[in-house]
Amino acid sequence: MSGTYVLLEDAIGVEAFPDVDLALRRGRHIDRDDTDWYAFLVDASAVLEPFYRRYGCELIHKSDGYFYLLPTEERLGRRHLSSTEMLVGQALALLWLDPATVELGGFVTRDQVLAQLAGVMGAESLVRAMNPTRRRRDERVEQETVRTKVQEALRRLASLGFVEIAEESRVRLRPALMRFAEPVRGAAAPEVALERLVAEGEFVRVEEEGAAPDADDEAPEGGTEGSGQDP
Amino acid sequence: MPSDAPVSPNHVLSLLARRGVSLELGTIDVCFIVALALRGERSALASFTEEQIIDVFEQVCAAVEPAAEVRRVATHAIRRLRDQRMLSRVDGAGVVRAGEYTLTRLATGIVDFYLADESLTRETLTLLLHTLHESASGALAAARHALTADEWRTAVIGPLRVTVGDLVQGIERRQRAFDAQQEQFQRDVAGLLQTDWFNAVDRCQALLDSTTETLRELGDVLLVHATQIQSVLQDIQDLAATAGAEEAEAVTRRVSEQIDRIAAWSGARQRAWSEYYQYVHRFLRDVVRIDPARVLTHRLREQISGATGRNFALRVASAAPIRLLREVQPPVEQRPAVRRRSGERERAVTDTPSTDPQSKLDADVRAALDAGARGLAEVTALLTRDMPVGERYVAVGRIALAVTRVCRPLTMAERPWVPVGDELVIEEWAVPEAS
Repeated sequence: MSGTYVLLEDAIGVEAFPDVDLALRRGRHIDRDDTDWYAFLVDASAVLEPFYRRYGCELIHKSDGYFYLLPTEERLGRRHLSSTEMLVGQALALLWLDPATVELGGFVTRDQVLAQLAGVMGAESLVRAMNPTRRRRDERVEQETVRTKVQEALRRLASLGFVEIAEESRVRLRPALMRFAEPVRGAAAPEVALERLVAEGEFVRVEEEGAAPDADDEAPEGGTEGSGQDP
Repeated sequence: MPSDAPVSPNHVLSLLARRGVSLELGTIDVCFIVALALRGERSALASFTEEQIIDVFEQVCAAVEPAAEVRRVATHAIRRLRDQRMLSRVDGAGVVRAGEYTLTRLATGIVDFYLADESLTRETLTLLLHTLHESASGALAAARHALTADEWRTAVIGPLRVTVGDLVQGIERRQRAFDAQQEQFQRDVAGLLQTDWFNAVDRCQALLDSTTETLRELGDVLLVHATQIQSVLQDIQDLAATAGAEEAEAVTRRVSEQIDRIAAWSGARQRAWSEYYQYVHRFLRDVVRIDPARVLTHRLREQISGATGRNFALRVASAAPIRLLREVQPPVEQRPAVRRRSGERERAVTDTPSTDPQSKLDADVRAALDAGARGLAEVTALLTRDMPVGERYVAVGRIALAVTRVCRPLTMAERPWVPVGDELVIEEWAVPEAS
């Protein structure tokens, strides 16, 4: 970190600060593709880290090359991703690691995401995971629901900076997707790693399959959003 | 040779659709065309006899489809290629003797696509642009001395259209070939990583760097030469404008646009390549080097497929949007206007005599009859004389009613239709004389 900004006053006086600040507070991940914002955060992180800590947040800078704000207290609003967003995010992370994606320069289509999920989970399991409360089974309706939910999840993940929507059905993968792979990145067993990440506030445990919040539901956790609760 | 006038895409498309243009070429057809081109080149043949064609086809069949019945298939293939304008007959002998055939421009284009070595390198591009500059300079020199329309046509327009135009198309063709190479290159990089994950890093890196260097060199060469050529073309265009040579001006403008397009290609490709380069570089650095055994992919797949992948969720900040209330501007207090009451609040009611329009009409009719009118037409003409034209039609009916109220029209065997003014015709009723 170059530490260009010595005083907080200098950092918040920069023209980009309000936009960066608002984006971070809304859960946006900022990576090298956000050239100006990323450069600003690299230079200003030394003064911004204590600034955000006063709001009960950590300004995290990952070695994969992205920043994000992690709320550790309830002063600032926070939420956890829905089950569909988590599934889609993990599938996108798999695609990020796939050498076949290199040919397309990191672009994938919604169909590729669906194929990835169906390939890894099995089509039946995927349909059940995204239609947990449906009692009357109708294959056509359930599959349409899966497609709609995946599309919606892509849109939400794009607003958080995990992907960038390039065209109607194509998205560009971004480095922040590696957050979805955090529990399995280290040498430790996934469960142990997950415990640590939950303790650090990176992840929250949610209820078991079937009772999980629906993909379309917001999952706020107190703070200014107020209505949810930490599990 | 393309015309200088812009052609409407819709017109071109409808023309092609009307002609029912289509191409259906199998592998053997393409091989056949290529083999003919190679034979023609090797033996310096301008055209092929039927025997030569069948001979070439036999060789192609032996290589591609050994089991085929050559003579019959050859006949079909020749007909198919003629139908699709790949081969054209050039002898004009008809049924008198066996024909002679040559490959069409369409066929040679296909052959060029598969065989011609039209790679875009620093050397080829420099050579082409240098020649282009020389040709354009020659046209400029000729333009300075051109006096007549004929001189403009032969010394300026011709070279610009043919020599310069062909050179520009040659560069564009090589640019398209370069694009195809890039596409293949991206497939190769992905293929290398898939087959030889970690060991492919250095080779990918070398490939990336060499292409980056090539693109940079091409960009530099294009930038320098394009500026020089544009300057020469601008001079020609100015001279043509001064001399009133409109055709020369249009041709120069067209070539100038093509040069712009060639120069813009380089910038666009460098931008696209830069994005791809950064992505692959990041992939090699962050994914391949950190996970040489691809353990992460394996563990992530297990995480998604197992139940553990669904009982945790990422936490993200989600601050409520800041409420920016608009500045309230209280409305200027306006007291109700107080005015002095003028006069009485309610006006006094006054009786005014009302007039019954029907009784007035009756009176008018009666007056007309007393004045000597002897029929409905005469009464109507009298009463509608001062009315606006639009009201007369309605008035006619009312007058007829009033006449029946005032007197009893005479019964007649036949009542004639008579005109009233210029625009109305009514049935004439005779009325008794006023007593």
